[in-house]
Amino acid sequence: MTLVAGVDIGSTTAKCVLLDDGNVVGKSLAPVGVELVRDAEKALEQALGDAHRDRSEIRFVTGTGYGRFKVTFGQEAVTEIGCHARGAHFLFPGTRLVVDIGGQDTKAIRVGERGEVIDFAMNDKCAAGTGRFLDVCAGALGYDVAEIGALSLEARHPLKVTSTCTVFAESEVTSYVARGKDPKDVLAGLHASIASRSFSLMQRVGVAPEVTFTGGVSRNEGMVRALERKVGLHVNVSPLSQYLGAVGAALFGAERLSRPATGGS
Amino acid sequence: MAERPAPSPALTQARDRQRELTDAYYQELARTDSGRKPVAYMLVGGNLAEIVRSFGYELVFPEIVALNCAIKHASLPNILNAEAQGYGLDVCGYVKNDLGLQELGGLTPFGKIPPPDLLVCSFSGCYVYVKWWEALAERYGVPLFMLDVPYLREPTPRKEEIAYVTAQLEELIALLERTTGRSFDRAELVRTLGASRRAEEGWVDYLHAGRQRPSPIEAYFEAVFYMFPINVLRGTPEAAEFYALVNEEVAARVREGQYPVPEEKFRVVVEGVPPYPSYRTFWDFFRRWGAVSVAATYPKVGGLFDQGFLHDPSRPLESIAEYSVGAYVNEAWPLRRELIASYVRDYAADAVVIHGIKSCRSFTAGQGDLRDWLLHERGIPTLYLESDHEDPRYFAPAQIKNRMDAFFESLKPASPAAGGTP
Repeated sequence: MTLVAGVDIGSTTAKCVLLDDGNVVGKSLAPVGVELVRDAEKALEQALGDAHRDRSEIRFVTGTGYGRFKVTFGQEAVTEIGCHARGAHFLFPGTRLVVDIGGQDTKAIRVGERGEVIDFAMNDKCAAGTGRFLDVCAGALGYDVAEIGALSLEARHPLKVTSTCTVFAESEVTSYVARGKDPKDVLAGLHASIASRSFSLMQRVGVAPEVTFTGGVSRNEGMVRALERKVGLHVNVSPLSQYLGAVGAALFGAERLSRPATGGS
Repeated sequence: MAERPAPSPALTQARDRQRELTDAYYQELARTDSGRKPVAYMLVGGNLAEIVRSFGYELVFPEIVALNCAIKHASLPNILNAEAQGYGLDVCGYVKNDLGLQELGGLTPFGKIPPPDLLVCSFSGCYVYVKWWEALAERYGVPLFMLDVPYLREPTPRKEEIAYVTAQLEELIALLERTTGRSFDRAELVRTLGASRRAEEGWVDYLHAGRQRPSPIEAYFEAVFYMFPINVLRGTPEAAEFYALVNEEVAARVREGQYPVPEEKFRVVVEGVPPYPSYRTFWDFFRRWGAVSVAATYPKVGGLFDQGFLHDPSRPLESIAEYSVGAYVNEAWPLRRELIASYVRDYAADAVVIHGIKSCRSFTAGQGDLRDWLLHERGIPTLYLESDHEDPRYFAPAQIKNRMDAFFESLKPASPAAGGTP
């Protein structure tokens, strides 16, 4: 029995996954506030509660995400790029390309046969094409972000959202609403717009099957379909997709424990 | 608690001397402001320092003034002033620093920069630079000399190209004779070029030290400090003496086992202009990973001396013309990328890090393709980062650090987890 934890402190949510001998035995997901150290602690405690395990059993904790240095009780910090690659490979061993759409980042990660990072590309200094973009535009249409994916799939005449800026896209959405357009058609346009931006990043590192979709936006079914249409390939998703950064972090911890001590630092 | 012993003087002499030379230069400029000597403004790339200095001009390099403002966190007020004058967000930060500084009276944390009596645009490959020099000429009503340098598309310039630049140098000499009332002293130019060559030889020895493992030099962050004499003081005895001192220090580092990165884990080649407003922060992002730059292109913008070119006093004007045409930013991309690939090979580097700057198209345009070429054609791990060399508003530390951490994690040979993010 080797219980390890991965704690992923992202821009929007904190995720924690507990792995025991390579099996996910507990997990948690909660919004992050400004007290990241406390959020990380809470994520771990909730995951322990989910797994009915005691903290003293944990052998290694790895932090990841933008707040990885706030996982002060962890032994190591690894970037979410490496963790999403490893997590996606764990769940879908044939993964060669990961697209991770989170709250403020979109990343395309080329992955090798062992789940190692070969290359990556990220959105730069702009929230367009991220979860935040969807939040803002869902708000402009009066919907909760959780419902817009399914609604987008009901579109009959998808519209084009051309703006590449979150703020201007919101204005574009408002303008469509003012012109009496069906919100479902607008939503389909928004999803296609994000898929298009993500595809640009994917092309920068090289598109190759299998493609695995991770991050919070991977829960959005409309986004999955929009990506598949744009990429022309099946896109792997799972109920664990949002947790794959934390899964990857936990895997790094397990690997660390299994490596023989070298006597070095 | 015991105090840490002071480093041996042999290990600090170069940096100390570089500071002395820099301070003395800016103090001299401040004195020059009272009209003691005429002042010529010049650009670093392909500069004509030896010719202009031989007519008694003091030289100001506004790019170097700008980078010194940025590294001392004094560039933003100048940039904001230039933007208030109407210069757009996309205009080069060097240009805006200078035009704002001129408007604010030339006052910097390191002394007052005198206005120009002569403007020598020694690199006309950048259209923004041409407009910058024209704006200065209009502001001060002083002579403007524009050197038209043919773009270098082949490894060796054609003889017609050298003849074309040499003819322009003769025009410059005629202008200098008119503006100063002095006759061209060829013997003085030959002597000056001899001093330049000695400095260049010493600089090359320093740069080549990056081939050693571990590297006793930091070929980007440290070399940026040490390039000051080769760019600004070339042709003076002090520059040649400085590099002799630097190389003594490098030898002392090897002797005493004192290296810029104590435990060298990654050897990188760096391409691009540094983010001067966040210089130390950026440098730290490398050091935390035990990454040392063993070769870099940017410290060679004042001359690719390590590629075999050295000023030749026996052919003064032709040699200066060859130097101008061979400036790094004047080279076509196929030449630049082969140079970078050769650095990876010759300096046994593990990777290339490219730092693009949003405000300089002449240096940065093409770096995305360079990254793809190095990665896909040559199999060299390459990271592309972007901020700015002058404007602190464009440096996003969390994003840059995240990319660098992910890159160095992925470079680990056995397992990305080994050591994790430091």
